[in-house]
Amino acid sequence: MSQNTDGAPQGSINLASLSVPQLRALQTRLTSELEHLTTSHTKLRAAQAKFRDCVRSINDGVTGNAKKGTDGRDEILVPLTSSLYVKGRLTDREKVLVDVGTGFYVEKTAPKAVAFYDEKVKGLDANLQELEKIVQTKSSQLRIVEETLRQKMLSEGAPQAAAG
Amino acid sequence: MDAQKQLQARSEEFQALQTELEVLVDARQKLESQQQENEGVQTEFAQLDDESNIYKLVGPVLLKQDKSEATMAVNGRLEFIEKEIKRIEGEISATQEKSEKMRSELIQLQSQAQQQAAAASASE
Repeated sequence: MSQNTDGAPQGSINLASLSVPQLRALQTRLTSELEHLTTSHTKLRAAQAKFRDCVRSINDGVTGNAKKGTDGRDEILVPLTSSLYVKGRLTDREKVLVDVGTGFYVEKTAPKAVAFYDEKVKGLDANLQELEKIVQTKSSQLRIVEETLRQKMLSEGAPQAAAG
Repeated sequence: MDAQKQLQARSEEFQALQTELEVLVDARQKLESQQQENEGVQTEFAQLDDESNIYKLVGPVLLKQDKSEATMAVNGRLEFIEKEIKRIEGEISATQEKSEKMRSELIQLQSQAQQQAAAASASE
């Protein structure tokens, strides 16, 4: 696919008309943009995993899961630090406190909390899909720029080599 | 030589302006993410019934808060953030204008310096 058959929008420039340094600058810019987008992607994925963990914790730990043997048993190990636990007892298996952002916590029933987290996961999914689309167009742009740059270098290198 | 020195001083100024612009854009981005977080909290509060318990994290403790109080706090924050964004955007456009002016000045100085250099080498 060449850049001319792309159905390029108005106001776009023909890449072949750019000089080698200009193409190089474009390449570095696209690369750094792509890097930024991929890190955002990873961060979004991590956030999504965290919310999914919350849902799992509620289902297994708070509501209780008969299959996993957590149903009807109130004993729990509470982490005080990442390596220190104390025994505890669940006194309320109905309600949980959910961090809704900016330091506010809201008391919710377990199903409502699960719905809240599911909503968050869904929202992140939409964001991820949008981001993936952008990453795809950017990387195809980068490929085209790199290809043009390579051709330029080859065609510019040839006469010099012939002259020298 | 004089043009050279002037050029250098000018380009240093231009660099400083660019970093200033970067700082402003960063601040703008931070405000934007804060705005989004607060908006999320606002919509969450809007869905709650009046008797739901809301706690605010103050240091290491959770303090119980009235829904109306919490909503007011969030609304106030959003208002403040909006104002801040407007202010910073004004600063950004002002800095952009300045740096645009300086860029054209720089180009002028550059061509002047080149002409001087060319004249100097021609007279040698």
